[in-house]
Amino acid sequence: MHENRLGKIGENMNAMLHDQDASARSDAGIIVMSMFFAGILIVAFTTSPIASGTEIGERAPIFTAKATNGNGWDSFAFEDLLDMSWTWNSTEESPWIAVEFLDIDCGFCKRSATEVGEWAQMYSAEQWPGPDVVFVGIAVGFLGDHTRAELVEFRTQYNNNFLYVDDLDVSIAKEWDVGATPTYFLVQPDGIVAWNSQATNGLGWDAKEEKSVPLNGFDDGYVQLNEAIEQLTMMNGGE
Amino acid sequence: MNEYAVLSIHGAAILFGLVLLTPFGSSVASILHGRYPSTTTKRGQLLAGMVFVCFGGFTVSAHTLWMHNKLSEGASVCSGSSILNCDGLIGNVAYNTDPLFGQPWGLVGMVAFTALMWLVITIAKEPMSPQTQLFIKGGLGATIAGIPVIMLLVSYEFKEGLICPFCTTAHIANLIALVGFFLLFKLYESDEWAPDMKKSSRK
Repeated sequence: MHENRLGKIGENMNAMLHDQDASARSDAGIIVMSMFFAGILIVAFTTSPIASGTEIGERAPIFTAKATNGNGWDSFAFEDLLDMSWTWNSTEESPWIAVEFLDIDCGFCKRSATEVGEWAQMYSAEQWPGPDVVFVGIAVGFLGDHTRAELVEFRTQYNNNFLYVDDLDVSIAKEWDVGATPTYFLVQPDGIVAWNSQATNGLGWDAKEEKSVPLNGFDDGYVQLNEAIEQLTMMNGGE
Repeated sequence: MNEYAVLSIHGAAILFGLVLLTPFGSSVASILHGRYPSTTTKRGQLLAGMVFVCFGGFTVSAHTLWMHNKLSEGASVCSGSSILNCDGLIGNVAYNTDPLFGQPWGLVGMVAFTALMWLVITIAKEPMSPQTQLFIKGGLGATIAGIPVIMLLVSYEFKEGLICPFCTTAHIANLIALVGFFLLFKLYESDEWAPDMKKSSRK
């Protein structure tokens, strides 16, 4: 029974490859493939797509979550911080975004928390000649089950006067491909990742040239968030 | 050009194809008789209708791929304050690629309608081929396989509370193609497929 069926399929395949109807199939194939590639070429020549991801030059994944600025937990959409019309020579004063993934039980996060709080104030102050930088802390639960109350306490203790996002279920961290804390990102106002502290620490994204450029880590060669901010936001005139 | 004006061009091709598939199609097909004599037959009329439906499905899919790319650049291509909003769906990274290969849905649609178009043109070129029935069944199976995919995409629309008119047009084209392949199957089983020949002599 099976042999008969297989034999029939074999005969069919043989006929499809060698009989005179094969020319109809190849003619039809030429027509539809021409149509397909014409479509692909039109799309390719009229667009320049940007991949979504957290490597430099990619579009940062957007998310919605609950966040606090010290007064309760409200809905927060990362997209609301973005200005899609921003370009490297834009005269609009759209802020850059510094994203910090932190765990309140992580020693490195505790050690840098005060400094990050100071940077958040410094890069939005009048004295700072560059564009404003908005800080967003994304609190993950890698090292234990924390509560929102503990996040608020940590935020207050280290004087982090910026938005803390609840990512205790680690969903945003997964989407941003974050496996350790603290991890920092600097995101252009249009949502393109300009710097990723873990993946390519010594490289930043030049929005004008649309290519990666080396950054200087002034103390030990390792680029800190403040160093990335100062070099990248001021790279093309500081707008 | 307004995006809905462009959508109406895709829609017009699909609608014309749909009309050719209906009983009213014979009078509409008369405008094609001079250039394409095969459309004087029921079989030719159905196949012509299928070509238009698949072509409209292909172009609207290509358009959604274009939108997908434009949205990744940061542009807005089809967003309104109303429920009809493509940006919120085609631009949503959680939903805008197929879960199997990670390719944009527009590209999936282009490949699907290209394959359907190949089946239709091959049948049209060699309607008496011994493989014709296999090709009709293949088209029927492919369009039926498209239904779960459409259901998945509609579930995304429900989740987001939005409707993407371009995507919906492509879904409708797939459903019309399904009906078209079914009509071709019924016709093939009847003596009307080749009125000059007995059905038994075709096999």
